[in-house]
Parts: sequence; structure tokens; C-alpha cells
Amino acid sequence: MSEIESQTDGTARSSETTTGETDERIREEWSDYSFEGEAKLTVDDLDVYYGDDHALKGVSMDIPEESVTALIGPSGCGKSTFLRCLNRMNDRIKAARIDGSVELDGEEIYQDGVDLVELRKAVGMVFQAPNPFPKSIRDNITYGPRKHGDLDTGLLARLTGRDDSETADELVQRALEQAAIWDEIKDRLDDNAMGLSGGQQQRLCIARCLAVDPDVILMDEPASALDPVATSKIEDLIEDLADDYTVVVVTHSMQQAARISDQTAVFLTGGELVEYDDTDKIFENPESQRVEDYITGKFG
Amino acid sequence: MASATESSVVRGDTSTYETIAALTVGLAAVLFFLGLAATVEVVSITGTLAGLPTLTALGLLLVIMGVAVAGFGLISYRGIFPTDPRASAGVVAGGLFSSLWGLIGALVAAETLGLGVVGGVAGGLVLGALAFFATALPREDIGSTLPAGALAVFFGLVFLLGVVGPEWSWSPANFPSSQSVTFFAATVAPFAVMASSLVVGWAAAKAYGGFGARGRHLGAYLLVYLNAVSIIAVLIALVAFVVFKGFGPVTEGVEIGLGVGPATTIGLFGFGFDVVWPVSWPFLTNGASLFTDITGVFPAIVGTIWLVIGAVVLSVPLGVGAAIFLTEYAEQGRFTNVVEIATNALWSTPSIVFGLFGAAFLVPRFTPQPQKSLLSGMITLGFMLLPLVVITAREAMIAVPDEYRDASAALGVSRWQTIRSVVLPAAMPGVVTGVILGVGRIAGETAPLLLTMGGGSFVGAGQRAKVLDGFQLSLSPPFVTNPELTQATTALPYQLYQVILTGTGQTAGVNDVTAFGWGTALVLLGVVLAFYAVGIATRQYFRSKLTYE
Amino acid sequence: MATNKQRDSDGWQSRLASRFARFAEFVQDTDNDAVAVGALGALSLVGAFVGFLVTSPYTSVFLAGFLVAVAYGWVRHQELAARGVTLAMTVSTVVILALISFFIFYEAWPILADRSGTVFGVPIPGLELFTTTAWTPAEASPKYSMLPMIQGTVLVTIIATAVAGPLGVAAALFISEIAPAAVREVVKPGVEILAGIPSIVFGFLGFTVLSPWASDAFSLVGQGTYLFVGIVVGLMALPTVVSVAEDAINSVPESMKSGSLALGTTDWQTMTAVTIPTAFSGVSAAVLLGVGRAIGETMAATVMLRNTPRVAEPLYNVFYGFDTLTSLIAANYGSSSGFQKDALFVAGCILFVSVLALSIGSQLIERRMDRKVGGVE
Repeated sequence: MSEIESQTDGTARSSETTTGETDERIREEWSDYSFEGEAKLTVDDLDVYYGDDHALKGVSMDIPEESVTALIGPSGCGKSTFLRCLNRMNDRIKAARIDGSVELDGEEIYQDGVDLVELRKAVGMVFQAPNPFPKSIRDNITYGPRKHGDLDTGLLARLTGRDDSETADELVQRALEQAAIWDEIKDRLDDNAMGLSGGQQQRLCIARCLAVDPDVILMDEPASALDPVATSKIEDLIEDLADDYTVVVVTHSMQQAARISDQTAVFLTGGELVEYDDTDKIFENPESQRVEDYITGKFG
Repeated sequence: MASATESSVVRGDTSTYETIAALTVGLAAVLFFLGLAATVEVVSITGTLAGLPTLTALGLLLVIMGVAVAGFGLISYRGIFPTDPRASAGVVAGGLFSSLWGLIGALVAAETLGLGVVGGVAGGLVLGALAFFATALPREDIGSTLPAGALAVFFGLVFLLGVVGPEWSWSPANFPSSQSVTFFAATVAPFAVMASSLVVGWAAAKAYGGFGARGRHLGAYLLVYLNAVSIIAVLIALVAFVVFKGFGPVTEGVEIGLGVGPATTIGLFGFGFDVVWPVSWPFLTNGASLFTDITGVFPAIVGTIWLVIGAVVLSVPLGVGAAIFLTEYAEQGRFTNVVEIATNALWSTPSIVFGLFGAAFLVPRFTPQPQKSLLSGMITLGFMLLPLVVITAREAMIAVPDEYRDASAALGVSRWQTIRSVVLPAAMPGVVTGVILGVGRIAGETAPLLLTMGGGSFVGAGQRAKVLDGFQLSLSPPFVTNPELTQATTALPYQLYQVILTGTGQTAGVNDVTAFGWGTALVLLGVVLAFYAVGIATRQYFRSKLTYE
Repeated sequence: MATNKQRDSDGWQSRLASRFARFAEFVQDTDNDAVAVGALGALSLVGAFVGFLVTSPYTSVFLAGFLVAVAYGWVRHQELAARGVTLAMTVSTVVILALISFFIFYEAWPILADRSGTVFGVPIPGLELFTTTAWTPAEASPKYSMLPMIQGTVLVTIIATAVAGPLGVAAALFISEIAPAAVREVVKPGVEILAGIPSIVFGFLGFTVLSPWASDAFSLVGQGTYLFVGIVVGLMALPTVVSVAEDAINSVPESMKSGSLALGTTDWQTMTAVTIPTAFSGVSAAVLLGVGRAIGETMAATVMLRNTPRVAEPLYNVFYGFDTLTSLIAANYGSSSGFQKDALFVAGCILFVSVLALSIGSQLIERRMDRKVGGVE
């Protein structure tokens, strides 16, 4: 990548010869990046290999709680891989090997004895393509709590009068309101979720995730499959979520990242985290030339 | 707002109770295998086991196992161990235990207490309902373990206290004497032991996982793994048994060396010279006759070979042709739907129905008098293979991407040429694999042969079907005949059936019919499994080639 | 405005008319010799078929004529010849199925007509075969009945399904979802090999090992039980259930399973709450096909049963086994004639129709499954 030279435009930017050298310096600069509040997730030197492919190279970053962190970069540079490490969904891929450390509230999630079920209760995920279950809307929302044993609406419970139907209804309403879709589908709660539009399905998936009451919400390009109207609804939703949850969003759209996030991490080709800072800083005055080139559209 | 109380994602130290739970699962496994051993009489119910009478020893183990798992549930309930049980063990567990206990209740009420059928039904319902409530109402750790432990303790005490001793037997009174059944301790006890150990093992596995979702996950995985292992074990046992019993008869008299085998004459440019095979394998090269001391299956092998050749020659071109038309020429609509449904239905049709059709339609038509013939057998098997060829060829052709066809058409190549040069070669691997697997299936079919082809099967080697030599031309219609094709003959599966029919009697030149049967079974199994192995291997080969493209 | 009915009848008539028009155009556009050869080939094929039906010695002449026509067409007009030949092959496939259905019923007809009964004045052919239970072909006034065989087939099929259904679905789940790659490499081919073992070999093993043991262990009169035949047949139907169910389970999209896991569920919960319900149609189709396989199983039953048609008493007595529909045909065909032989064809009809119904039912269910999951993406 050394052919990308800086323009001699007189701005105070040192000329760059090799990528590695300057990125090292840059990383030192922003690794002092501090933010207000606690770090919810702490990632230290995370490497991911898919077979021989080194998909993520030594990524370290702290993700602050109750805010929106955006991960941007061209496709194939490891953003989704990184995201999937945070709730250990990469474990599902047989060829994946993960080195390094990820801590949630100070607890290492890659150690022995970690209960994946508990981890994923705390760290929820919304996928790129909406994936509701072929069940009713109500059953979709209550799925998580039911499976966790927090809600019992089965036949046996109803017969013995121990069922939680009322709590379930409240939960469904709350989750759908949080996802800003309650008014649209409140009369259709028993309809099959597959009959909803794409945008509605995605908001349903967000509601489903919220119903589990996680601490962290991971979103992998949540609006990429949606039309502009639905996209803007989702973006508003994300900003609201940041009041109560730690949100990490992978997005292809830099404009989206600039709109909704508090801090942004830029991943560039090869699985490298090149820069991570407040969103304003990244988009107005990034340290790294490569990041500036990416943001101004010179590549990617 | 996320929950204020941060619960840890790391499981606490659970090693102590996990060890105990694992030991209980282990004990259940030991008992399961003891029960299995008792079924095949490796362990004798009427004998002794480790110095104690077998039933006493088994009863003791059952009681220990039952108490262990029930105790585990109680300990979890008292909170001594960290577990995460649900509020109820659930409907599935409830249904299972209520059926088991219901059955026991019905049998005890009807027979032991002598209350007859009505009493039996009542007893069954009462005990079944009790078991259901005992499982589903209390918390999961009690509900999963107590009924299971109680089952094991019940059987254990029944054996320990001698209620069912080594000499026990029971014959249901309402069975007529010509169809009477007697249940002995030797058959019932192992079954009870295995059932209890399965149920307790499942409960103990759930306990190992701390009940709740994780416990049920582990319990379910235990059973599913056990199921898969048993299927493979049964398969290995079947094949090993046939090999074990058949190896002797098949390899009898095998010699390797120069000049020991049969001679075949090769004619070249008017000179004939004999080649003597260096291997003599009587079982494969002899027939059955008074002049050979080792009876062989040669005529049957030849019959099977010709059947396969005939069936393939008939069905592969027809099937591939039909598949070409359905995939490439015909519009996808009602006609293709009907043909697809018809082909799938043909594929599921029982082989005996094909045999009936062959017997009704084909057998009367090749000779002046209706006569079973090799040709009828070939055509019937061809009809059986046809649907498989059509289905496989269609799938293979549909899998060829349209881009290939479009590219060819864009170069101005006609449709048939495209099919011939682009689609068929790409689809061939799939078709070949399907045909090989199909041939494996029809090579083992007996029922159609019974009705269309089966002739004498204990015949000398000279009486095999010599099809190639049999063709004759004539000046009068039908102009081409082959008496070899219109003769009844034998084939490997048919041969085996004849062995079973013959029983243990002596027959033309066969010394030991049962041993001959095992040998035939081994050869048949070998031939069929060879086809399957080649078919599976070619499928793997082509699949691996495709994934690298 | 034309009514719907009118429009529909216009529909098929106009479609037929347009078909004719297209055909006429085709004939006009094509070279004369191609049309002539095509007509000759088609006529020869039909002639050969008819000749075969009436066992005429001139069948081979017609066949030769067909081959000559094809050869000529191949050389001169390969495109058309290919299309015509493949069409002929497709038609043959349908014709064969039609022939099978026809001949089975045709041969069964005489006894159905002879043994008919009336219900509320409506004559039903063959009713007597289902209302008596005696099978006595050797008596002066022979009696035939399908009921003992139906009892046999039903008992064997129920036991076989109880074995092959749950165990097969569990094994399919194991192969698709649970087994690590190395274990799958052993179990999947293992199940396929189990599918390959010929039924006569199963029958031989049952006959020499299982039946004698059962007679001894349960102190039975003679050898042959529906219970153990059912278990063996279940073992034979198991691979059918496994392979179809496995396909159904594999077709559940990975995104749905990931969605469930990401909410914090165990793998087993995902399987029972998401994977199996989504694949339910395919799994049911698998079990139906397994039932069909069990119904049609012949040789293991023939060899292990007693082959004397009578009713087992009491009706649930699975420790005795007499005859199933399949074993009746296999054991008696060679030695029967006249009405007895026709009765065998009646058994064949029952088999054919029930397996056909199961096959069509499972295909319809599978199509519903494709639509349901297809609506996901």
C-alpha cells in the first residue's frame, strides 16, 4: 500500500514511506484514546485465523458502555469477524482459530468454563439479513426468555395456573415499543413473522434481542438489506438504544457511522484496526493517511 | 436498562457433583451392558455373577443406581449443589415416566393382583397418573430423578427379594394355546435392566449438566449418541457375523500357485491356446453337481452379472433420455409434474409388485408357453432401476448451471449439440454415481426374480446362462432368438432363498446346505457392498473435484 | 364480459387449438423427409409395442423399423431426432407406470368380480375378501381372505415404524447437527451401507439366528414372529428415514440457527425449537417414506414368517407371525393358479395403492416444505 502517497498540499502531515511504521505510530497515539465512563468490553491483541487466512491481526480496543461504537472499513477487512468474536459466534465456524483476549466487565470470555449461553444472554446480536423464526410475532419475542426459563407459558404451566402469560404480554409490548414497531403490528401479534416486510422483520429481530435484556447489542450491518425509509428508522432506533445499552455496529456506510456513532473504529484490508477514536475526530481529522483516503473515497 | 446485578458468564466450580453424576452415568452404562450381555447369554440369568446369583447381583446394582440418582435429585433440591433447574421437568419427561409406570401398574394389577383386564387398565391409569404428577409438578431436579430412581429401585427390589427369581415365568392367559407365549426371567430381566439403566442414565446426565436447559441438552445428547453408536454397532455385528460364518465355506479349497486354476481358451488368428489361471477358487467357479466336492455359486454369479448388464442396458439410455427431455426440452408445467410424481411413485413401489407385473406381462410373451426367463428378469430389474436413473440424471442435469447453456447458445451452438457437449458431460458423474448405487440395490433383489426368472438353483457350472454364445439368426420371424435368454436360471439372491427353502436336507451334490447358504450370503453381501462402496467413493471423488473448481 | 366458466372452457379448447396449430406449422416448416421418417419411427414404435402385447413374432420387425428410422434421422436431422427420441423415452416411462397399474388390477379383477358383496344394495367387488378371515384354497369350496395378511402387514409396519421413525430421525439429527466431522465420516457411510444390505441377507440372518432364539426364549409353538420381523424390517427402513430426514434438516437455513444461538440457547434447544419445527414437513415425509418401505418389504418377511394365512390371536399377539401381503405373494406365486393366483394380485393391488398413496403424500408434503422455507430468504 506504499503507493498511496500523501499529496504535497502543505498540510501538516508527515510524508509516509512504509505503512507499518506510520501505523505503529498512529496506534500509539490513539491507544491513549480515552473516553468517559467504563469500558464494557476490552479487547487485547485479538487474532483470528480461518485456516491459513489471517483474518484479524492483533486488534486491541476498549468499547465504552452505553454508547454506540461503529466499525467501518471496506468489505472483507474483518469487521464482521471482529464482531462475531465478541459473542463467540465464531466458535460455530470449524476452521476458525482465535488467539487473544476479550473481556466483558473484566471477565475473560475465552477462558475454560465460560457458559456460552450466559455470554450470549449478556451480549446479543442482530444479523445482516433479518432472520425471524417461522413462528408468530409473539413467539418470536418471547423465544429468548422462554428458553432461558424466565418465562413459562407452556401447557403444563397454564394447567397449574403458574403461567406467565401476563408478564409475557407486557414483555412483548415493551420490546416492540423499544424497537419502534409496536404501533404497526400490535394487532397482528399472532400472525407469522415471515409475513412482515424486510424492515419490519429487522425491527422484530431487534425487539427479539431486546426482550432478552442484554448488556451489549452487536449489530452486523443491520440496515444493509433495507430500503432508505426503514434504514432511517433503524438508525433512530440505534441512537435511542445507546441510552441503555452498549451498541457496536458494523456498517458499510460511512455516512451512517458518522450519523449515529459516538466513536468509530476503522478496519482496513487485511484485518487491521488502523484507527479508533471519537467519531468527529475520525471523520474530520484522522491521524492516518490511509483512513483519510478511505473516508474521502480514494479506495474501498 | 440492562440488569443491575451482573451475573457471571463463567461457571462456578462444579467438579464435585459433576464427578458423582458422571459416576452414576457410568454405573448406568455398566448395567446397560450387563443387560445386553444377559440377552445374548454371555451372562446367564440362571447362573452367577461375581459370586452372587446373577439376579441378586443385578438387583443390588439397580437399587444402588436408583438410590444414587434419586439422592442426587434430593441433594440438588436442598441446594447443597449449585444447579439451575426449571420449575418443572416438562411434559415429555412426564409422558415417558407415566407410560413406563402405567405399564408396570397395569401388569401388576392384572396379573400379580389377579384383577383381570379391567383391573389392569385401572391400575395402569392410576399409577400412570401418579407418575405424571410426580414428574411434572415438583421442581425439575426432583421430577427428573425420583421417578427414574424409583423405577430402578423397584426392579432392583423385585430381583433382590426374589419376587422374580431365576425360575420365574409368566404366560398370559388370554392367548390361545396354539399361539401361547411365555415370558421367562431370562428374557424379561435383561430387558428391565436395560430399560432402567437407560432411564437412570438419562436422568443422571441431566443432573451432570445441572438440570435446566444445559442438563436437558446433555441428557438428549447422551441418548442421541447412544442411538448412533448402537446403529453402527448393529451394522458391524451383522456384517461381521456373515463374514465369520461365510468365510470358511467361501474360501474352502482355495489354492494359489501356477497351474492350479481352471483353463480358459483364447483364440487368436485361428490358433487357440489355453491360459491356466494361477488361482483356484472352487466356491466361485463351481456349480452344484455330484462330480464336484466343493459346491460353488458360479451359475448364480453369472446370472447376477447378466441381470445387471441387461437392466443397465435397458434402463440407463431410456432413463437418461427421458431426463434429457424433461430437463432440457419440456416446459416445466403439468406434464413434467405428472412425470415427476409418477417417477417418484415408481421408485417407492415394492419390488414384489414389479415381480407381479413381470410375471403377468413379460413372462408369457417371449416363448410360446409362458416361461420364466432371464430376459424377463432383466427387463423387470430394468424397470426397477429406471426411476432411479431418471431422478438421478434429472438432478445432475438441473445442477448444471444455466450459464453453461447460455454460453454455448451465445456461440451459436444448437440445443442438442449443447446438451451433448456441455450438459451431459457435466452431469455424467452424478448419473454414474446414481447408476452404481442403483445397481447395488437391484443386484440384491430377490422378490422380482422369484416370479420372473427363478429356475433351478442347484445346477452344475455348465448350466449357467451362456448368453453370448446363444444368439441365433433365422430366416423366419422373429429373426433373432437366444434360447439362453429365454431360459429360467439362477442368481445370487435367488440362490440364497432356495437355500433357505431347502432347509437342512441334502440335495443334489450339496453337502452342507447351511454352510453353503452362509457362503452364498457372503458372496452376495460382498458383491452388493462392493457396488455401494464404489458408488460412494465415486461420489466423494466427484464432490471433491467440484469443490476445488 | 365472458363468465369465468366460459373463459375456462375457451381456455382448454383454445390451448388445444393452438397446440394443433403449432404442430401443423412444425410439420410445414420441417423438411419432408424428416417428417416422413419421424412418422415412420413413431408408427414403428407403436407397432412394436402392440406387437409385443399380442406376442406377435413380427415385433422384431417393427423394432428394427424404429431403429432404422432413428438411425436415418440421427444422421440427417440430429437435432430433431434427439428431441423425438427423448420424448419417446419420457412417454415410455409414463407408459410403464400405467402398464404396471393396469396389469395388476387386470389380473386381480376375476376374483374381485367373483367375490363381490353388496352394501346397501351397492355391489362392491371383492368385498368378501375383506369380510371373512379364512384362507383355504385347497377345499372344495375355496375361501380367500385378505384380512390375515392385512393384520400381518399392519403389525409389522407399526413395529417397523416404531423402530425406524424415532431412531431414524435421531440419527439424522445426529449426522446433520451434532456429530463432529470425524464421527460423521463414519456414521453417514455406515447408514448407507446398512441400506445396501440385501433383504434376503437380513432374512437369512433372521431365519437362522433370530427366529430360533425367539422360539426358545418365549417358548413359542413353531418359528416366526411379527415382532422380530418388524424389528428387522425397521432396521431396513431406517436408512430411508435417515437420508430423507437429513436432507430436510440440512435445508434449514444457517441464519435461523445462528439467530437462535445468538439469543443464548443451547444447541439442543435450537434443534427442538427451531430446526425440527422448520424441517417438520421434510421429516414427516421421511417417516412416511420409511413406512412405505416397511410395507413393501418382501424377502425378510417371507423367510421369517410361517406362510400359513391365519389371524394371530389375540389381535395384538406379535409373538406369532403368519403372513404379510408381500410374503403371501412371494411364497405362493409359483404354486398357485386360477383364483388363488388372482387373490395374490389383489394383495399386489393393495400394496401398490397404499405405497403409491404414501409416496404421493410425502411428495406433496415436501413441496409444501420447499415453499415454506423458500419464503424465508
